[in-house]
Amino acid sequence: MAAVLRPSLAHKLSAALAETRLRLLNISRYPGQLAMEIIIPIVFASMPMLLGRASGGGAAAENFAANTGTANYVAYLLIGSNVFTLVSNAFWHVAYWLRFEQETGTLESVYLTPTSSLTLVTGVALYSAARGLVAAGLAYIVGCLIFQVNPLQGDVLLALAFIGAGLVPLYGLTLLFGALVLKVKESNALIGLMQWVVSFLMGIFFPVAVLPPLVRLVALLFPPTWMTNGVRSALLGVGFFFGEWYLDLAVLWVFMLFAPLFGFWVFNRVERNVKRNEGMGQF
Amino acid sequence: MQGQVRIENLGKTYHARQRRGLFKSSESRVEALKGIHLAIQPGELFGLLGPNGAGKTTLIKCLTTLLLPTSGAAWVNGYRLTEQDNLIRATVGCMLMGERGLYWKLSGRENLEFFGALYHLMPATRRRRAAEIIDLLELGEIAERAVETYSSGQKMKLAFGKALINDAPLLILDEPTNTLDLPSARELRAVVGALNERGKTVIYTTHIMSEAETLCDRVAIVDRGEVLALGSVPELKASLKREAVTRIEGIISNAAARAVEGLPGVSRAALAAVNGHNTLTVMSPEPRAVLPRLIEALTAHQAVVQKIVPEEVTLEDVFIARTGRTLADDTRVK
Repeated sequence: MAAVLRPSLAHKLSAALAETRLRLLNISRYPGQLAMEIIIPIVFASMPMLLGRASGGGAAAENFAANTGTANYVAYLLIGSNVFTLVSNAFWHVAYWLRFEQETGTLESVYLTPTSSLTLVTGVALYSAARGLVAAGLAYIVGCLIFQVNPLQGDVLLALAFIGAGLVPLYGLTLLFGALVLKVKESNALIGLMQWVVSFLMGIFFPVAVLPPLVRLVALLFPPTWMTNGVRSALLGVGFFFGEWYLDLAVLWVFMLFAPLFGFWVFNRVERNVKRNEGMGQF
Repeated sequence: MQGQVRIENLGKTYHARQRRGLFKSSESRVEALKGIHLAIQPGELFGLLGPNGAGKTTLIKCLTTLLLPTSGAAWVNGYRLTEQDNLIRATVGCMLMGERGLYWKLSGRENLEFFGALYHLMPATRRRRAAEIIDLLELGEIAERAVETYSSGQKMKLAFGKALINDAPLLILDEPTNTLDLPSARELRAVVGALNERGKTVIYTTHIMSEAETLCDRVAIVDRGEVLALGSVPELKASLKREAVTRIEGIISNAAARAVEGLPGVSRAALAAVNGHNTLTVMSPEPRAVLPRLIEALTAHQAVVQKIVPEEVTLEDVFIARTGRTLADDTRVK
């Protein structure tokens, strides 16, 4: 027999990377999709940018600085739209992975193998993060060049640290979302709704300080809010929530510890419930 | 009860929602498996024969850990179901859902190597296994092409190959010859037979009686979630030894078939429509004596009899004798 009964970490990592490779091979068969992922956040940020210029006139930058802490509204909005794309794609990729495979029938095939759902999700998350980071990075640089601002100002390494620390709890949250998709067998409407809520809470085009107090509290329970503000503070100096970068990063570390565990616990319970009732393949 | 696969009183009940229009729905209970007992020995080629909806796939899905059973217990390769599911999955090669279980945008080789990785084979091993399977199934010419360009038969072959990637001691094949043309089906059955001769235990589900007859060492006839009969093909046929089978072809209505079934000396009669022709299978311990009454009953119900053929007992006759229905009937539990 060729199969390994007690897989080591190397075996599991190899399986996760195979899942990542599968997704990358699959998306390489649709090259237009990647181009769209670079264009969309630029177009998305352009709308409030042009509206601001139209309504603020020559004083647009000063007005913006008074409320957000930076006059560089171009980079501010591009960071918002790109982090949002990263977050939105993370939800899309996990939800779509489950839904698409339910519909095509490959989900049952994958569940016939001894690879755990944790390993599979790790593979999907690696793929999603790689795809999302490349697309968001390129979109940010291209957007900055189009609107003639410097993309590499501020502390780039710190910004990357916030993105890195934010991605782990983000994929923990996507597991909750994946569990919902597995159960209700619907992804498009759920993602549509989630995108509006996420963009609102994370302060896609505005600082969360302008949100009503109760909504602001909810927004601060959401890791992408800290990720967005961390990147903006590192690059544009808009100000960390707790004043110092390491305190904000510590909050993301706390999310990093709990969100994946909670997400996986819920996912496992829903998975078992689905197996008890209709089965993994039913869609 | 010992065996490579041991099933004790396995039951599966679904709660299905029945829709009535836009807003109304009600929940119903569907008993897909009703206390199945089976033991499959190492090296056996074991057939699960039954019509569509009999519960074969539900049983397979329980044994491969895709579904949790509601009651009972099972051991697969010595591992207990629901407690050692990962070990069961690692030691079973399964073909379920045929071509739907493949990634159509990837090539055949990419598919095999990907599934190899999910069985925790390291890169060199999975490349070797994929190459061996491509050779075994003669898929070399199409191995680098995207699966979406394959014919239905080629996809089924690849799906079968996927079940071999972990070189498991137990193969579970759910209707593997579906959508295959006759030569390809024969070829695949030959490969299954050869793998069995090399020591692999095979569970083979089918609703095609001839497949079970030619391929399997033992057969369980399943219907409505129950095992109706179990034994080797000669044993099952011998269970109907006292019965003779007569097949009548022509234009025969359901009413005529019912009238025949009610005749003295007829133990079972089942009507099946194949290619626009009706075939009435009649079982009787005294076929010659019953024949005049039989023709009389059919003509009284405006049946047009084209052919009357006395035949050998088949597994389908065993099924008919137990259920009064043919294997072509869909017996999905409502």
